[in-house]
Amino acid sequence: MKFVAKIWPRLYIAIAIVFFVAPLLSMARFAFQRIPVISLGKDNLFKRWTIDGLLTTLRDPEFLHSLSVSLKVAFFTVLVLLFLMVPTTLWVHLSAPRWRGVVETVTILPYVVPPIALVVGVSGTYRSIAPWFLASNYSLVPFYAILAMPFTFRSLDVGIKALDLRTLVDAAKSLGASSLRVMWNVLLPNLRTSLINAAFLTITVVLGEFTIASLLLKRTLPMYMAQAQGSEPQGALGLGLLILVLTTILFTLVSIIRKKDSKSINVKNINVGMVP
Amino acid sequence: MSALEFVNVSKSFGDVNALNNFTIALEQGELVSLLGPSGCGKTTALRIAAGFETSDTGSILLGSTNIISLPAHQRRMGMVFQSYSLFPHLNIRDNVAFGLKVRGVPGDVRKKRAGEMLDLVRLSDLGHRMPHQISGGQQQRVALARALATEPHVLLLDEPLSALDAKIRVEVRDEIRRLNRDLGVTTMFVTHDQDEAMSISDRICVMNNGVIEQIGSPRDVYNNPATSFVAHFVGSINSLPRGNTRVLIRPENLVLATHGEIAQWRGAVTDITFVGAFTKISVVLDNDKSSVSVLAISSQIDHNIAIGKNIGINEEIR
Repeated sequence: MKFVAKIWPRLYIAIAIVFFVAPLLSMARFAFQRIPVISLGKDNLFKRWTIDGLLTTLRDPEFLHSLSVSLKVAFFTVLVLLFLMVPTTLWVHLSAPRWRGVVETVTILPYVVPPIALVVGVSGTYRSIAPWFLASNYSLVPFYAILAMPFTFRSLDVGIKALDLRTLVDAAKSLGASSLRVMWNVLLPNLRTSLINAAFLTITVVLGEFTIASLLLKRTLPMYMAQAQGSEPQGALGLGLLILVLTTILFTLVSIIRKKDSKSINVKNINVGMVP
Repeated sequence: MSALEFVNVSKSFGDVNALNNFTIALEQGELVSLLGPSGCGKTTALRIAAGFETSDTGSILLGSTNIISLPAHQRRMGMVFQSYSLFPHLNIRDNVAFGLKVRGVPGDVRKKRAGEMLDLVRLSDLGHRMPHQISGGQQQRVALARALATEPHVLLLDEPLSALDAKIRVEVRDEIRRLNRDLGVTTMFVTHDQDEAMSISDRICVMNNGVIEQIGSPRDVYNNPATSFVAHFVGSINSLPRGNTRVLIRPENLVLATHGEIAQWRGAVTDITFVGAFTKISVVLDNDKSSVSVLAISSQIDHNIAIGKNIGINEEIR
């Protein structure tokens, strides 16, 4: 009995690892072994590995262009979201706790409204009144801000809950700090982890979003990757893996910062949420 | 002219009258406690003085200036809170210097002043530590130093000892009293703990349901309570029948009748609690079954007294 009880959890973990890692390994073999897919087997596991495909893609001017579009859009999305959500979340906690439920519900709307409905509705409106808006790559920013809202709100919400917000604000004010100074010198530094968390989650949303970009015909990174899979499939998959590795490194860094902060600021259990 | 004066300040939250025509004047350097049960309006009064809460009517005078419409950050009130309110991202020295920094005091002056303030609360070795690395009592002393660093007009203390354990509580309490005396800073101290108020205050303002019941020195409030509420809230008190009325007598003002002496009241002993120099004897009176406690000097108690025994009680003649 003891042996069985011990083996089960391990078996379970082994299955989970295979489930997650096997597709990644297959992807890596496809992307980095110069062998026709049909002949990939266990005999040639260590043969003809190369990163030429990935390098070709990385040198492609189209790739660099789409990467720069995605990063710029990500940057502005983060700015817009934090600019909107930081004051809103603080306001909800400080002055209107009754509205927290409403705000929370609004932030999960992107889960309810499918992206296609969002784009069709918004583009229908703007095409007639401000066609220039949809022509710009930055027209993606408001859409992505909406998509990343659930992550941002939750990240900030948890960070604020871990602080004794009311007392910190009152203490700073009694020491002569104006509202702006309270925000800048007390609240933002103490919400550092939440802000970094929210920013990284937003970036991953932007770097992974396909539907809206495709409907609005924007040359973003996911669009490029989808296209490249037709012309340079090895490079495209290699790129996919590279992005996955980079995102993993980013989130490891975030969790290291979080652990360091939780010692000093007492911010605990911030849920990183789902990486899209 | 008073250092801080509340004139007819009223405040209600919905149907609840939190503060009703609250009027009190604090003299320069005086330490006044607002004492009362939770919900009596004491914290509301303090928060209105600090500018965190608006009042419905009335004014607050700082010297001769009415500050009622001034925002909190322009009032120059030092405040210490129940929960340790140190900024978690700043070390102890920077916490103390925070008020000076937002006022634009240059870095070297700031550093020097923060050092002096930490000396004052005897924590100068801890300047480089982070708030989570020091104890609760130390955090509260840092909070005091931080509040005093900007030389506030008035120091407002909102139950600053409630979160501390008993021994540390006395230490920080004495620290507050010492700073108040040494610096001559006018201090308003909110508490629900009568012992705390008694031991620290020049005057106590006893409050109930948003109204002041009595303002007076600790001795005055204890010995000459103005209302039945004050008598019951400050110290313990017995209500005993006398003719058709009842009299209020403190346990230490009752004595056990000696053998053969005529007793004003008689009753059965229900409990005997030894508390060192004194012994508390609980009695249920024979005639109306009310519970009474007598605080007697332990060395003078008759050894024959036991639970269930019938004894006589008299009011001490002074």
